[in-house]
Amino acid sequence: MAKKVLNVEDDPDTRTFVTTVLEENGYIPIMAVDGEEGMEKVREERPDLIILDILMPRESGIKMYHELKTDPSMKDIPVVMLSAVSKRTFLRSTAALTEFGDETVPEPQAYLEKPVEPEDLAEILKNILG
Amino acid sequence: MKINKMLFVSEFEELWLDALQSLMSLRKAGMNNVAFLHVISRDKVAMRRGTGYLKQEERKIREIADIRFIDWAETLYEEGMEVVAHIVIGNIVPKILSVTEIEGVDLIVTARRKRAKLEELYAGSETSDLLRRTDKPVLIYNYLSQSGKVGDNPFERLLLGLDWTESSEKVLDYVLALKGAVKRVDIIHVISEKDVAKLSNKMEAQKVERKNKKRLDEVCDVLIKEKFDARPHLYIGNTEEQIEKGASEHRSTMIVLGAKRKSIWKEKWSGSVSHSLADKSELPILIIPAEIK
Repeated sequence: MAKKVLNVEDDPDTRTFVTTVLEENGYIPIMAVDGEEGMEKVREERPDLIILDILMPRESGIKMYHELKTDPSMKDIPVVMLSAVSKRTFLRSTAALTEFGDETVPEPQAYLEKPVEPEDLAEILKNILG
Repeated sequence: MKINKMLFVSEFEELWLDALQSLMSLRKAGMNNVAFLHVISRDKVAMRRGTGYLKQEERKIREIADIRFIDWAETLYEEGMEVVAHIVIGNIVPKILSVTEIEGVDLIVTARRKRAKLEELYAGSETSDLLRRTDKPVLIYNYLSQSGKVGDNPFERLLLGLDWTESSEKVLDYVLALKGAVKRVDIIHVISEKDVAKLSNKMEAQKVERKNKKRLDEVCDVLIKEKFDARPHLYIGNTEEQIEKGASEHRSTMIVLGAKRKSIWKEKWSGSVSHSLADKSELPILIIPAEIK
C-alpha cells in the first residue's frame, strides 16, 4: 500500500512542487498550510512521513516539530524539514527552547534548505520510507 | 492581563529589524510569540488596462517580503521565540484586524499610517481608523523621529496619561502586565484649561488639585507595590500639549494612553487626545482601548 506523506507548507508554489514529487514517486500526498492544521492532519491521517516548512502562519514548523517529538504517539514519525530557514538556526532554536525548559528533541531525519531539486527530495524520501 | 503575542506590521520602509529587536524587552514581560504581517497594497498589483492583474509583481513583492521575514525570524528563533508570518494582499486596516483575530495577538505594533490629504480630511488617518476598529492595544511605533532614533528599549520610561475614565483602569492593568520591561513610570493627569476656568475661587481650585493628586498617589501606590519606580505629576492646560510636555520633561521613551471607541463623526466633533497624539507624537505611543478583551 502506498505510503502517506504530509506536507506542511504555506507557499502554494512549494506545495505544488512537493505534491508533484510525491505523486510521481508513488506516495499519497496530504496537505496542510500551517502548523496547527498540520497537527490536526497528523492526528487524523497518521502519515508515514512529514515534510515540514518553518515560517508559516498560526504555528511555525519549529513549534510543530517540538510537539511531534515530545508526543509519545507521534514521535516516531520521520520528519524532513524543508525550509528557507537555515539548519543552523533550526538547531540553535531547538537548543534555546531546551534552555527555556522544553524537552530535548532529536534532530530531524533530514534537513533540506530551499530550493531543493526534485530528485534530491525523492531520494531522501526513498531512503527513509524504503 | 498578559502580553504573550505581538503582531508586528511592516512594509519594510518604516519599521526594520532593529525596531523589532528593541521590542524584545517585552520578553521580560512574558512575550514569547511574534506574528509578522506584510500587506501588499492592492494598488501595487491591481488590474491595469492592457496588462491585467500584475501576477509577476505580486510574486516579486511576496519573495522580497518572504526573504526579509525569514531573516528576521531566524534572529528570533535563535532566541527561542515562536514566530509566524502572513504576507497578504488587501487594504492595510482590514488585514491587520483579520490577522489579529487569526493569531489572537495581545499587542499590535505598527508605524504611523497616513492617507492622502483629501481622503484624510473625511476618513481620518489609517492609524485612527485602526484605533477605532480594534479592541487590542496598539503601539504606534515611530522609532525614527526628527530628533534621532528612539532608544534601545522604548518601554524603559513610560509616561502614563490618565483621565480617570473607564479606560484609565485598563491602562493601569496593562502597564502592570509590562512589569519587567519597564524601569520607570511617570503618571500624569492634565486638568484642562476649560475646567480651571469654571472654578469660581481659589479654594475650589485647591480642592480639585487635592482630589486629583490623591488619585494620582493611589495609582502610584499600586505601581510601587508592584515594584515599579513610579512618580505622579499634575499638569494644567491643553491636554495634548501638556502630555507632550510631560513626556519631554521626564525623558519618557513612550506615551501610554487609554481610548474609547468613537465613531468617526463623533471623533471629529469631540476630538480624541489619544488618536490625535497617535497621529502626531514623535515618541512611540501605546493606546489601550477601553473595550480591551
